[in-house]
Amino acid sequence: MRNLFAFFRRFRVFLFFVLLQVFALYNYFTYISYPKSQFLTTANAISGSLLETRNNIVKHFNLEANNKALQAENILLRKRLPESYMKIQNQTFKINDTIYEEQYDYIAGEIVNTTLTRRNNYFTINLGAIQGIETKMGVFSENGIVGRVFYVSEHFSLVKSVLSENINVDVVIQPSGIKGLLKWDGKDPEVGFISGISNDYKILIGSEVITGSGSGVFPKGLSVGKVKKITSVEGKPLWDVHIDFSEDYRKLQNVYVVKNRLQKELEKIEFAIPSEKE
Amino acid sequence: MNIITKYSVRFLILGLIQVLLLNQLEIGFGIQAMIYPLFILLLPIDLGTIPLLFLAFVLGISIDALSNTFGLHASSLLVLAYCRPLFFKVFSPRDGYENIKEGSSYEMGFVWFLWVFGGLLTIHHFWFFYMEVFRFNEIIFVLQKTAFSVPVSFIMAFILQFLIVNKPK
Repeated sequence: MRNLFAFFRRFRVFLFFVLLQVFALYNYFTYISYPKSQFLTTANAISGSLLETRNNIVKHFNLEANNKALQAENILLRKRLPESYMKIQNQTFKINDTIYEEQYDYIAGEIVNTTLTRRNNYFTINLGAIQGIETKMGVFSENGIVGRVFYVSEHFSLVKSVLSENINVDVVIQPSGIKGLLKWDGKDPEVGFISGISNDYKILIGSEVITGSGSGVFPKGLSVGKVKKITSVEGKPLWDVHIDFSEDYRKLQNVYVVKNRLQKELEKIEFAIPSEKE
Repeated sequence: MNIITKYSVRFLILGLIQVLLLNQLEIGFGIQAMIYPLFILLLPIDLGTIPLLFLAFVLGISIDALSNTFGLHASSLLVLAYCRPLFFKVFSPRDGYENIKEGSSYEMGFVWFLWVFGGLLTIHHFWFFYMEVFRFNEIIFVLQKTAFSVPVSFIMAFILQFLIVNKPK
């Protein structure tokens, strides 16, 4: 017993160091895969309001550019209204019937905090459970997709951005409709990757990349980026497609959160697929 | 100024600059500037290692809570704090640390500051970037990120030091 105490006294500094170190690293590695509490994130009330104050000061610097972007989007939407079409054939008219059902709902929000240089970059937005945000909802801006909601507190939520390792958004390369999964290698915030594309497809540089509708997280057809470069994966019959993101994440401020009204139904039906056992 | 007030003010200044300014800065080449280790360097030289580790942990966790790193900053700052007494011993001046209060470049000179703070920062940055990636086959990328970030952090911290440390009379 005395030896034990002597041991503790002798190595107390090192043991204290190991204790704190284990706590920090354990917290880090478990959090990446599964968020438990809001204690150590920017979604907690104190951090959230501090960063929101900062954002309230800084956001005015980009006001003009943001206004222009919103105006451009308004014009685009206005063009789609029936009022801006001239009737060419008098027989056709729009019928509001039950064939269409509204599937996606959008909630507008603002980015409060971003990081860009990390391996997994999270954005904090000023929308929370009160506004009806839930985890796994998609987030996009007027220029492209942003990420998926990772953790929600009362007034804020964390978005795991496309600038993180295992984001895996399903995307489609236009015009041929090749499907792939979007990834990021942790280096350049302007360049993403699509992996798992068989090299018997022909892909043109500059082709548009948009979201697919497979997972129901994003509505189909949101812009993601453009194909920049194609390299072959060594030893495998696959392409590695480099894409230029259409959104500049450094300047990002206004975002929309996608609420899929049919998400529950989609998950329920996909849950019925029997899992493969070997 | 009371010693507790002095260090609390430094804690707040360095923490807020890190979180509100430097975390949002994207310079390119994977550069990420981190200046908060300066707080640990400037703590009193005769401070024991256990309070040193405790303060490092508190500062690290506060930075983590504001930048979504979930404990990564705390972990690397603990490594830095654990190495500090070792560096102080190796680069100890000829007469020891008598009459010297803190390890600023005013009191210790630029060469000492460069070796000690530069060395500690390199360890801190390497640990941070390596733990973040956590893959041995990307070690070149980690080393490159460390090599680019350390000079930027060092220069920023060196300039900032003149703003928060009073010149001894």
